[in-house]
Amino acid sequence: MASDWQPDFEQLVDEHQSMVFSLALRMTGDRGLAEEIAQDVFMELDGHIAKIESQQHAIFWLRRVTISRSTDALRRRRVRGIDLWVEMDDNHATPVEVQSTPLGSRLESLLSTLPEAQRAALILRYQEDLTPEEIAATLGAPLATVKSQLQRGLKLLRAKAESELKEYIRAV
Amino acid sequence: MQFEQPFEHIDEFERELREGLERRAAPPSLKRKVMERRRHERKRQRSRMIWFERIAALLVVASVAGSVVAGHYAIERRKGEEAKQQVFTALRITNHAFQVMNRQLQERDRNSQ
Repeated sequence: MASDWQPDFEQLVDEHQSMVFSLALRMTGDRGLAEEIAQDVFMELDGHIAKIESQQHAIFWLRRVTISRSTDALRRRRVRGIDLWVEMDDNHATPVEVQSTPLGSRLESLLSTLPEAQRAALILRYQEDLTPEEIAATLGAPLATVKSQLQRGLKLLRAKAESELKEYIRAV
Repeated sequence: MQFEQPFEHIDEFERELREGLERRAAPPSLKRKVMERRRHERKRQRSRMIWFERIAALLVVASVAGSVVAGHYAIERRKGEEAKQQVFTALRITNHAFQVMNRQLQERDRNSQ
């Protein structure tokens, strides 16, 4: 029962830090910024914890706020005229995780070149395994828009991957 | 080779994408930093609350003192008003007594003439 659920902040941080950090990292492509966003999101959760009704509500809230704060951070950076991706390459290049396949890792880095809305939809679809309906609810966007973003994002990513990997295969 | 025909099936592409987008472990320091920030924030809120309480207490004391002073002035003013009324009453009585005396004197004058 939702009313029986007592939110434990520390436990929520423990359970969902990887989700929040990964969402922020894939949205921004910057480890340092992603960690800052994750901290801010959890601080915001602390302020709203009385309104959180269940574990599912907490997860939904965290995904929604993380995507939103990441988008805000990217916008702020753009306004300040900082080229985030150049900065990422210079300072915060993320090491390839050992559990990822080489193609998976390359797809992950290619994802960062997609438009924000498509990136957010694809991250929620393939990292969080959400349905288009759940993504629409999380992003507060119409279902048709989300479906279109998923299709366009996937198509664009596939096209980028094909051209990039052909070059890679040629080089190998 | 794995990269030669990677996109024959959309499912394969999506599977690779899903594998590429597995959740990353958060930095080990993240939880500690969040909990520290939370403690710091709580402390700041507490000290802010203490200041609010002090200001509220000061306002209560000031309003109590103000109302005591205002009450005292009201009492003094009322006493002044009462004294003024008493003086007026005394003057009216005196005036009345003078009028009576004046009438009696006039009557006596008339009788003596």
